[in-house]
Amino acid sequence: MSVLAPIICDNGTGYSKIGFAGNSDPSFVYPTAIATRGSANTASRAPAVPAKPGHLASKRGVEDLDFFIGDEALANAKTPGYGVHYPIRHGMIENWDHMERFWEQTIFKYLRAEPEDHYFLLTEPPLNPPENREQTAEIFFESFNIKGLYIAVQAVLALAASWSSNRVTDRTLTGTVIDSGDGVTHVIPCAEGYVIGSAIKHIPIAGRDISQFVLNLMRERGEMATVPPEDQLKVAGKVKENYSYVCQDIVREFRKYDEEPLKYFERYDGEHSVTGRKYSVDVGYERFLAPEIFFNPEVYSSDFLTPLPEIVDDVIQQSPIDVRRGLYKNIVLSGGSTMFQHFGNRLKRDIKQIVDRRLDAGALARGSQLKSSGVEVDVISHKRQRYAVWFGGSLMASLPDFYNFCHTKAQYEEVGPSICRRYQIFGSST
Amino acid sequence: MILLEPHNVIIQQTILEKLQKPTSLDVFFVDYDNVRFHLSTPEKKTILLLSMSIPCWHELEKYGAVEILQREYGTLVLSQPEPEYHVSLQIDLEQVPKDSESQEAFVLSLALLKRNAVAAPFERAFSAQKDLEASGGQGELTQVSYRDQEQIFIQAAQDRVTVIFSTVFQEETDRIFGKVFLQEFVDARRQPSIQNAPQVLYSSRDPPLEIRHVPGLRNSEDIGYVTFVLFPRHFANKTVASAAISHIQLFRDYLHYHIKCSKAYMHSRMRHRVSEFQKVLNRAKTEVATTDRKTVSGRTMVNR
Repeated sequence: MSVLAPIICDNGTGYSKIGFAGNSDPSFVYPTAIATRGSANTASRAPAVPAKPGHLASKRGVEDLDFFIGDEALANAKTPGYGVHYPIRHGMIENWDHMERFWEQTIFKYLRAEPEDHYFLLTEPPLNPPENREQTAEIFFESFNIKGLYIAVQAVLALAASWSSNRVTDRTLTGTVIDSGDGVTHVIPCAEGYVIGSAIKHIPIAGRDISQFVLNLMRERGEMATVPPEDQLKVAGKVKENYSYVCQDIVREFRKYDEEPLKYFERYDGEHSVTGRKYSVDVGYERFLAPEIFFNPEVYSSDFLTPLPEIVDDVIQQSPIDVRRGLYKNIVLSGGSTMFQHFGNRLKRDIKQIVDRRLDAGALARGSQLKSSGVEVDVISHKRQRYAVWFGGSLMASLPDFYNFCHTKAQYEEVGPSICRRYQIFGSST
Repeated sequence: MILLEPHNVIIQQTILEKLQKPTSLDVFFVDYDNVRFHLSTPEKKTILLLSMSIPCWHELEKYGAVEILQREYGTLVLSQPEPEYHVSLQIDLEQVPKDSESQEAFVLSLALLKRNAVAAPFERAFSAQKDLEASGGQGELTQVSYRDQEQIFIQAAQDRVTVIFSTVFQEETDRIFGKVFLQEFVDARRQPSIQNAPQVLYSSRDPPLEIRHVPGLRNSEDIGYVTFVLFPRHFANKTVASAAISHIQLFRDYLHYHIKCSKAYMHSRMRHRVSEFQKVLNRAKTEVATTDRKTVSGRTMVNR
């Protein structure tokens, strides 16, 4: 193996997933945060200017090296003189200065790789302006002198990750991706590796909201009285991650819990982070109510009321008619907030109902005997769902083809940053 | 972050994690200078196999890397390394000390695997210098090709150890940045606070006199030579010596890291300047008076 493994860098709004191709999990997952000198609100301050003329070495300090990223950034958030910044907003890079330094430390401190020796695979959100892609390429080729670069759309990588599921037989890049992270949930239709931009829909409900909802429920029941206020959101998050599941029928689930509370109620034990005092709380209805906000958003929010299955159906209906079957047949989940047990089954059932109802209504309106052969609906959930985008990247970059689809440094120097406006889709067998 | 750390973060984090909760594992990763690692659990969840492949292994082996690794890791070193790799360590997670302090120290020593392997020629030169103190003369010139076209030369003498690095700059800009940076290095030594630092000399293109006789040296524009002169005070006791080795073997990466940091700094200055100019341009825009233009019939003309 003369070539070193490509580096996969998936920088999301909340977390960055970073590692080497060929592995099944990212080597590092940390918040996309950078703590720099100066307070957090002076976002676009000018970088330090040489203070005094004279001896070269004394001309400027090392303020531009004085920063932390990831978990260390958050740990240093309270240190006087440091402010935490989040360079990515809504999936897109907003502050290039911070992002460049974030990458600098990612590569040199965490990955310990020489960028000259590696190919890179980066991800971008759908509808990322090509200018951003050019900027990214400029940083990677000119600051870091990397060997080659491929920028992939996150949704496409999530589709590729679903190939690892044994239910997937043909490696196609047509499908609907439901990507639910910490901040926002996207529903993205892809046709043969190309995102259908006009049909994308966003849902303002994601991980953070589910935690908040669990917290509200537990507060209302008075469970949180023993938990110190600063730990409450964390406890709610843990309850969400460890105990929640999706039920098929809320009413029956409530009845089950009321009949046999001992069987279904769980206990969560925690410890105060500072004093070390132990506490424990009961975990009850929130177990199945938490993910329910995707299916009945009215239980949580008053301004967003469309359930997820309906949105998925809308998205597919807005896509070109010739790909709709493919989109229904391959609905892929990605991101931490889709990890609930039975989430896929419930989603599949609800979408199937919507589709069948429409087919029946159509048949009735036509009044003819002809009946549709039906539409196949399938929701794919798989083991690598949490870091699906990263895993998809790792899968793609370990194909021998990968190097042919990258833009190399020589090509970049020949054409300029505009070469990165277009990347060829690869990897699908169709 | 000014200095790069000598240990590998992935090894450290992964093993600490596995000590808490052993699970099966199979990861590949890299370190500086084309070093590849493979961490896996081939047989049992509690037995980790850490393998390292390092391109200049046959040279390091010649200079006693095996002994050093034996000294550091003892029985952990497997006599038969995993195929395609040069060194393999077998770590039984159940044998690792239980209290957190010694556990952390143990894991850190594992994370220093690459550093310890590359330390061999340095340690050899340091001890050679001690022997030469009495007899005088020059030690053998050891040469480690740590990257494809780049070498480290180490030579012990009666009162010093000379370490020479050659480094290749792939790009013109990098070469210039590197030149300025290394010039700074030489200048910075004039400051009174760091008088005790080793002497650093820099020459681009022409190899320094010590190694001019070595065959096969490149003599092109893109190569630079950095010479460190270490005096006995830099490796007098064990802690100082090991710190010196850690720093000096990361020097190439340190240099390239800082070239990249300087570029990033330049870029942020440029971005700032562009946004300032944009403000000026926006101020210079004249307000266009927008009067409705009418046609004869009284309808408004609209720009499409």
